[in-house]
Amino acid sequence: MSDAAPERGSVRSLRDTDWSHLVSLLRDRRRGLSIGVALGLAWTLGKIAVPLLTQSAIDHSINGDGSVLAWSAAIAAAGVVTGSFTAARRHIAFRESRMVETLMRERIHDHVLGLHPAYHDHAQTGQLMSRMSADLNQVQMFVVMIPLTLSHVALILGVAVTLVVLDPWLAIVALAPLPFVNVTAKRFSNAIHPAVLAVQSEQAQLSAVVEESIAGVRVVKGFGAERVRMEALSTEADDIQKVSLRAAVIRARFLPLMELLPALGLIGVLGIGGLRVLDGAMTVGELVAFNFFVTLLVWPLRSIGMTVAFAQRAAAALERVHEVLSVDPAIVDPQHPQRLPAGASVGAVAFRSVRFGYGDGDAAVLDGFDLNIAAGESVALVGATGSGKSTIARLLLRFYDPEAGAIEIDGIDLRDLRVDDVRRAVGIVFEETLLFNDSVAANIAFASPSVDPDADRDAIVVAASLAGADDFIRSLPAGYDTVLGERGYSLSGGQRQRIAIARAVLADPRVLILDDATSAVDPSKEHEIRSALSTVMDGRTTIVIAHRPGTIAMADRVALIDGGQVADAGTHDELLARSARYREVLAALVPSNDVVVGGDR
Amino acid sequence: MWGGAGVDANDRLDRAEAAKVLARAARLARGQRRTAGAAVGFVAMATATALVGPLFVRHGIDQGIRLNNRSALITAVGGYLFVAALGYLGSRRQYVLVNRAGEGFLRELRLRLFAHIQRQSLGFFDRNKAGVLVARMTADIESMSELVQWGLLQFVSAGILITAALAVLMVLSWQLTLVALAVLPIVVIASIRFQRSSNDAYLEVRERVGNNLSTIQEHLAGIRVIQASARTDEQRRRFKASNRALFDAHMTTVRVSTWYFGVVELAGVLATALAVLAGGWLVDRGSVSVGTVVAVVLLLASLFEPVQQLSQLYNTLQSATASLRKMFDILDTAPEIDEHHGSVDLPSTGALVVDNVQFSYPGSVQPALSDASLVIAAGERIALVGPTGAGKSTLAKLVARLYDPDEGSISMGGIDLRNATLASLRQRIVVVPQEGFLFNGTIADNLRLASPQSSDDDLLSALDRIGVRRHFTDLPDGLATEVRERGSRLSAGERQLVSLARAALVDPAILVLDEATSNLDPGTEAEVEAALERLMAGRTVVVVAHRLSTVRRADRIVVCDGGRLVEVGTHDELSALPGGRYAALAAAWESSRPTAPPLLGG
Repeated sequence: MSDAAPERGSVRSLRDTDWSHLVSLLRDRRRGLSIGVALGLAWTLGKIAVPLLTQSAIDHSINGDGSVLAWSAAIAAAGVVTGSFTAARRHIAFRESRMVETLMRERIHDHVLGLHPAYHDHAQTGQLMSRMSADLNQVQMFVVMIPLTLSHVALILGVAVTLVVLDPWLAIVALAPLPFVNVTAKRFSNAIHPAVLAVQSEQAQLSAVVEESIAGVRVVKGFGAERVRMEALSTEADDIQKVSLRAAVIRARFLPLMELLPALGLIGVLGIGGLRVLDGAMTVGELVAFNFFVTLLVWPLRSIGMTVAFAQRAAAALERVHEVLSVDPAIVDPQHPQRLPAGASVGAVAFRSVRFGYGDGDAAVLDGFDLNIAAGESVALVGATGSGKSTIARLLLRFYDPEAGAIEIDGIDLRDLRVDDVRRAVGIVFEETLLFNDSVAANIAFASPSVDPDADRDAIVVAASLAGADDFIRSLPAGYDTVLGERGYSLSGGQRQRIAIARAVLADPRVLILDDATSAVDPSKEHEIRSALSTVMDGRTTIVIAHRPGTIAMADRVALIDGGQVADAGTHDELLARSARYREVLAALVPSNDVVVGGDR
Repeated sequence: MWGGAGVDANDRLDRAEAAKVLARAARLARGQRRTAGAAVGFVAMATATALVGPLFVRHGIDQGIRLNNRSALITAVGGYLFVAALGYLGSRRQYVLVNRAGEGFLRELRLRLFAHIQRQSLGFFDRNKAGVLVARMTADIESMSELVQWGLLQFVSAGILITAALAVLMVLSWQLTLVALAVLPIVVIASIRFQRSSNDAYLEVRERVGNNLSTIQEHLAGIRVIQASARTDEQRRRFKASNRALFDAHMTTVRVSTWYFGVVELAGVLATALAVLAGGWLVDRGSVSVGTVVAVVLLLASLFEPVQQLSQLYNTLQSATASLRKMFDILDTAPEIDEHHGSVDLPSTGALVVDNVQFSYPGSVQPALSDASLVIAAGERIALVGPTGAGKSTLAKLVARLYDPDEGSISMGGIDLRNATLASLRQRIVVVPQEGFLFNGTIADNLRLASPQSSDDDLLSALDRIGVRRHFTDLPDGLATEVRERGSRLSAGERQLVSLARAALVDPAILVLDEATSNLDPGTEAEVEAALERLMAGRTVVVVAHRLSTVRRADRIVVCDGGRLVEVGTHDELSALPGGRYAALAAAWESSRPTAPPLLGG
């Protein structure tokens, strides 16, 4: 709601825009679009027929030749034609434009989902969502206009020709104000757009004030700050009113003018046409038809003006969409992927002189990093904040590729494996467990594509039991079918973590990474989780990124990470005894020499 | 925008309810009566001129052309020109006035709703999700903006247009009008059916849009988990399903409106055909003029367009009514904690007495606190300890009257907190939360939160009192530094310092602290500790403690367990208690320390 509002104001030249993504989609939908145009043309013919028939009917009824019934029937028939074509052309125009929008949204979504994490480190969720919602809306609004506009152009040409044939001079009088309708519509659309954006941006600001007042309600209440917040809100409410009035003034400047211009044409037709009828140069019926035709042109002209403005906005939106789509995924499958060896003793990990940094300007996080972990061994990574412990995990998942050196699983460079194979071989329990809006069972089976959450319930229950999660899951309202996530049942930090562990158990990876898996847990529950973890770690290569001393004890070996390298490695006791840096780092893990307990509502 | 997008039973309401809601909204809008009245006047004027136009055409044809009277024709042209100009001017004015009245109403609604939400006590915020409250204040009010801006204008003008067009038609020729209106039943039936099905279809779209956006958001937020789990293809498949469901919902609305537009267009042309047919016959018999037939045909167009508009308006009205109802539900919620008549100011100092208090959170059966009694002397420092859910934070909140006890009482200096004025309550008792929460604005704005009229000198001396003045005045912009959203420009420690200075500015007698569970970097940690120590000096302090060091520094320790205060005493007393909770807790603390404690601390 609040994101990206101002940038939408930019209007690019239509010629500079890369329309290729839209054009290729439109080409795919060309059948429906051409039918839309054809229907539009048929509708146009019907629209022109109605006033012509009315004219003839009136002229004939004055003569009293008794043919009025036939004429009326013809008008009714034309009504059936225009009525059904109005419906059909609307239907097709909307179907095609919604389809283009839908396909484009899938294209962006699918593309973004496959982009490397380094892209997502910098991309803002709100911006990407805006690409897939607000921007595609702009595109849809333009596409829906394409068949309509084409038939409108045909209608205008048809009417203009008819009028000229009927009476060239009167045609000029009637049509003279109409180009101004088009120009005014275009100018209006361009003027109102920034004003509407300003209103949206003020609304977003008000929303921010409301959001923080509600998020900080404890502070507001604790300090009795209601009055201060009220003033902040009332400023924003006043601003909204101000910019909204500005938009109203723009509407007042343009919209009545667009009503007035065609009326001027009508008046001209009445005056000059009336005189011509008096002079006998024209029939009354023709005059009425002229009137009718002029009214018929008003809406198409206005809509063409709007289409141009819509096209400009769609161009700006497409530009932003294109920016996203033109990012190439950096982590891709190799051309000739190798397979990981099978066997009883697998899961050896090797980092060989790895260098890696997060950006061009940033210093390398790891430099000359070497670490060998034997199959089935567990290693705790210990280091100060920012020493690169989590980076090691991300590299092993091939979220990033090293700048130099190589990372191997069972002797094969990660870059020679299919990306999915790497990620099935390496399981991770993240620091913060993200649950999806799905059942408990589906969340546990998340990393195991071969496990069906409903059919393979036994396997899921076994995994949950191993992770110490079975008991609390059974006590949930719908047990394993309880829906979790933002819009579902919320679990405590410890429960989430056990779900994540069950997820890893079920996936049964060669290598397991535990990223500070106990930090969010109440200390009284910590030992339960630890015992669950040791079951999972048994016989499996495990890398523990430890932030607290208790977790370090779970590993066979400790690697002290410092200065982007393994500064020292050995057992916990060995390092305690020989490394001053290790003692320093350990002390910093728990800064004030005591332990945090509790955490209340 | 994505919050509160879901559709629930509140979005469907029956006619009687809708009428009640709208009547109440009209009462709320009384302040805008004059502007709204003027707006309606101009709308009526602009609309009337649109109707008079065809009458001049008739006059021109019948009096001018048919009777060969040039001056009548010129009069007609002049008259038409005049009303067109009048219509133009009226229409210009109407946009501005309608906006002024409508936005004035929305502003009033925003202020009233926000003021009411702010008056609510914490229990209200526990029950209502933040996202929903924000949606009430934003999306719901904005959804009404469309109605207020366009809807009312269209409603008035379409209403006038239909009535006036009908009246003029009847005057022109009631026979022709009745014949032409034979198509009316088709339009009426179509409109009713359209309203029903389009409302359902529209709600469906809204729900699917919300679902689709949540899916996108979930996928973006969980991108690392998805990729780490090699699930991208599966999630793509799921997104496609949700995206196609949205497409289908869109198509339902398209189908619904498509046939309706077709039918209305057909009805318009049929009415013309009927008018021409009947007109031909009547002209033949000499009972109507050709000009009348022409005027009738022109006027019929202005009859069908507004009908179409009104039907579309119905959806807007429906959703606005639903939004209004949800807002009124909030306005009807009486704040639980309020100042009642005859409240007195709290004394500047005095003992804090918790007397036999029982309290449970709304919706939970288990009391969060029961049989709690405690006397805290002025200037005493109390640490509350205990496991999660033991009731220590609850006690802290009750002491600050963020909630009222269900039973028993809490008093300061002999005055029950429920009988104290809210202003004196917030002046005497201040809560400093776990994490420094800052609002968008400058550091000075954030300090002035509780006392907006404080001078710059007041702010500086408050910073001085806790020894952090230099820290902030040394910033390039000093206290005028913008902290940005949630204080993101400052570090966690600095935010905490601002939060402490805020309390120092209020200078309360009683300080209620919730100790942070997460750690700051060691340097800032020390600065925060020092500032906190200065802030606590000379005040009664109730601290929800998570650290042994804090507990050690307290005068007395209160151990909470299962909602009861199980042990009260000094560290030494409680440690000596055989089988005591505190003794066990302290032992657990010791044991969960890192191994080889002598080496720690560096």
